[in-house]
Amino acid sequence: MRIVVPMRAVPDLVEEIELTADETGIDREYLTFVLSEWDAQALEEALLLKDSSGAEVVAVGLADDPEIDQVLYTALAKGADAAVKITYSSAAGSSGSAGLRTADRAAVLAGYLAAQPADLVMTGVQAADDLDGQLPSALAVLLDLPHVSVAVSVEEAAGSVTVRQEFAAGISHELQVQLPAVIGVQSARQAPRYAPITRIRQAMQAGGLREVTVTLPPARSTLIVRRMHRPEETGHAEMLAGSAGEVADQILGLLRARGLVKG
Amino acid sequence: MTGLDLMAAAVSRPVFEGIGPAGKAIFYAAAAISTVLFAWGVWLRVRKYRMGRAAERWPIIKSALASRLRTLTSGSSVAKSNLTTGIAHFFIFWGFVAAFLATVILTIDTDIVRKVSELIVGHEDSFFHGTFFIVFTFVVDTMGFAFLVALIYMAVRRGVRRPWRLGYGRAAVPVGGYSRKRLVEGDWLFLGLLIAILLTAYLLTGLRILGQHMPWFTVFSPFGRTVAELLSGLGMTSDQAVTAHTTLWWVHAALALCFVAYIPYSKAMHMLADAVNVLASDRSTTLSLPAPAAGHAGYQEISDFTWKELLDFDACTKCGRCHEVCPARAGGAPLSPRDLILDLRQWVDTATGGFTLLDREQRPDRTGPLAKSEGVKIAGDVIDAATLWSCTTCMHCVDVCPVGIEHVPTIVQLRRSLVDEGTIDATLQSALQNLATQGNSFGKSARMRARWTRELDFEIPDARKQPVKYLWFVGDFASFDERLQENSRVLARILHDAGVDFGLLYESEHNSGNDVRRAGEEGLFEMLAEHNIEALQGAQFEEIFTTDPHTLNALSNEYPRLGARYKVWHYTELLAQLLESGQISVRPLGYRVTYHDPCYLARYNGVLDAPRRIVRALGCELVEMPRNGADTFCCGAGGGRIWMDDSLLAERPSESRIAEALRLDVGQFVVACPKDVTMFSDAVKTTRADDRLSVRDITVLIDEAMTRPTEPGKREELTV
Repeated sequence: MRIVVPMRAVPDLVEEIELTADETGIDREYLTFVLSEWDAQALEEALLLKDSSGAEVVAVGLADDPEIDQVLYTALAKGADAAVKITYSSAAGSSGSAGLRTADRAAVLAGYLAAQPADLVMTGVQAADDLDGQLPSALAVLLDLPHVSVAVSVEEAAGSVTVRQEFAAGISHELQVQLPAVIGVQSARQAPRYAPITRIRQAMQAGGLREVTVTLPPARSTLIVRRMHRPEETGHAEMLAGSAGEVADQILGLLRARGLVKG
Repeated sequence: MTGLDLMAAAVSRPVFEGIGPAGKAIFYAAAAISTVLFAWGVWLRVRKYRMGRAAERWPIIKSALASRLRTLTSGSSVAKSNLTTGIAHFFIFWGFVAAFLATVILTIDTDIVRKVSELIVGHEDSFFHGTFFIVFTFVVDTMGFAFLVALIYMAVRRGVRRPWRLGYGRAAVPVGGYSRKRLVEGDWLFLGLLIAILLTAYLLTGLRILGQHMPWFTVFSPFGRTVAELLSGLGMTSDQAVTAHTTLWWVHAALALCFVAYIPYSKAMHMLADAVNVLASDRSTTLSLPAPAAGHAGYQEISDFTWKELLDFDACTKCGRCHEVCPARAGGAPLSPRDLILDLRQWVDTATGGFTLLDREQRPDRTGPLAKSEGVKIAGDVIDAATLWSCTTCMHCVDVCPVGIEHVPTIVQLRRSLVDEGTIDATLQSALQNLATQGNSFGKSARMRARWTRELDFEIPDARKQPVKYLWFVGDFASFDERLQENSRVLARILHDAGVDFGLLYESEHNSGNDVRRAGEEGLFEMLAEHNIEALQGAQFEEIFTTDPHTLNALSNEYPRLGARYKVWHYTELLAQLLESGQISVRPLGYRVTYHDPCYLARYNGVLDAPRRIVRALGCELVEMPRNGADTFCCGAGGGRIWMDDSLLAERPSESRIAEALRLDVGQFVVACPKDVTMFSDAVKTTRADDRLSVRDITVLIDEAMTRPTEPGKREELTV
């Protein structure tokens, strides 16, 4: 079984995210990029499948994502069998500093997967820049494959996979999914494993990122970003200001006022 | 022959008295067998050590030879924390040496001088008579008696007084149970054999003296002669003594020959192994950890251990000093340094077919140290992961060990195996990931590192842009922990007001990697160190000072090997100097305080005086805790423990420390390490002692006492 895990690098949310001068994108210059946390879950679940049934796991990233080499080498250090970095060309030119929109990302990945078919595509159910989780479903549509999202476990079952899909209130059901298929992973059965830096460095020294070029079909997205907005205080939340000690006192005061703490 | 010669010739004793030629032949055959068994046993041990990797120990053996020989011959390391035991061991050591040398001298006389002289001059000659004989018997008789008394003391101590640390209970009971009965039996066999050999020796001497009708010169064997007089007083005749002597001679000879053969298969091996181990021990391997074994991270097989580590395992005499002082063990964690060493010893012997009489733990399910070698993980199966993760790397075990065992580097090597296979605590994993992406364990943006300086009303120079005298390496906790940032600002203001020329690396500073390295994440340590060294090399400064003693250790002991050599101070050293030179003026505070020595400051780097000088300069009364100075007790945060869950401990080390301080009737608990502020502020709360004891960084104390000039900037012209 060949499992392809599309991965993307997103801004580390511990950074203060600034907007570009024209306010149509985020200023990526000083940002640190890290692997999207849901993609880390997808990779872990794929590696668990590899551990149990000997699947081949291929991590795939787009060359334009900042820090993608680091992300792919980390995947190799964790046990992925191969890592592929996709460069794409299109009439419209590359995405520039604004990053690639999810629909276009799906098109690039579909181009790669059409040439290098997978039995199973597992990727994060969402990402910091794709909170509505379009990527797995868009990929499934483009590849014309069955699709399950919000998966919390994927296990092999003789030519198909058994997928547990989660609903609200913790209810889940088990699906039998014919391969090939696309799965959007919410969480793996165990916390993503640690990749020791020595192993990542060894993977880097060994090289081994395969580079693939995909031609992007004419632009599919007709949406244009007019303006981005900074986080706004909405009034639903009260921001406590001051030093840690003052904030703690305020919290205590609130808890006392509501009778949750006595004394 | 003159009369004098005649008298001298009579002043002696026959060596094989009443044994006869057949008996002599049997004795020599038995001695040969005993020697072969001894040599074979020693060879088995040496063969095992030769399986180990190289360890560069010639430099330390050469440079420290004189002091180590003093340690060995005086037994000072045994006496260090227990004087009576040390004195007893001293007499046992020298008693054994005397007995051994006496045997060698007798062998030379009997088997070489007499035989050779017969060949050359035609009659047996001997030096075993006259004055030599008198001195010889006097020395052997008195030292032997001291040896016997010391052994009996040890037996009473072990059997009647039963010190807690000689109980062999494990820190954690394995699931299938265990028994250490044979360890106890092994100890008694060792002690019993020695006592039996000495008792028979004195009885033998007494019988001989009685059999010879008490010649005058036997007064120089005072204890042997006393036995003879006792026997005579009990009514024994000379003839009876001669008969009994022959029988007892065989018993004594058999015991002695058995003992020789027994040495390399038992606890007695420590006489040989520990001499080498003490000569080759090197505490700097804990200050600056060894590199991983080439080819793979961590330890997977016996040949990954160095010969010194394999010797360490054999060197342990189970004295339990490490077991007693270990903060992990004291807190209820599964680690005991003694268990660790004994388990590794037993497993290495199980795996290499080593043979030991008794002295082995038994387990019904053959787990841990009894596991068969195939497919067994040293880190994980032989030693539990939880055990390895319990170590705070406080180094107390290494320093308290009388025989030079280096536990901490071995623990870190085994942790490297765990990190390599990803067997790590979730919170530690997240700290390491944060360190890899942002250079700090807090998961905050690297760019926020110097944000704490924003609330200062002056700007700290950027050492990357302008030359400064001191570079302040602030460290993660002092930079990012909101409870500690104010302390950092206080220190900055004190230094600024004292006119000290200092600067920062700002966001170019990353975590020093000291604790990362001790957590076993070698690659991440290298990455952090490379980053910092590049930043240091790009900055202009003369010397460094650090807030965190852990950072101090990395910069002064780990970085030089990577090519970065700087003079590194702890901030307390700098502040003590400023107080004494008058650059900081203070009014006396008059508090009654105690001071907690951080392990990485006191034990690792020997900074004991500076904080005490400060406390004195502030006019405070310093009440020392029982465990102070280089014998300090760990707060529990070191070695990466601060990033791990400690909720399962019965008593956190920091809580035990607060309890210790509470018995002193002091109001303030003074610390000199940012992690200590965190650990002990938590501990006074969890032990509900925060109304009686306040935890204060020494900086805050100075700030309170400091009298600043009324005109701002008046001291600006002063420089350190």
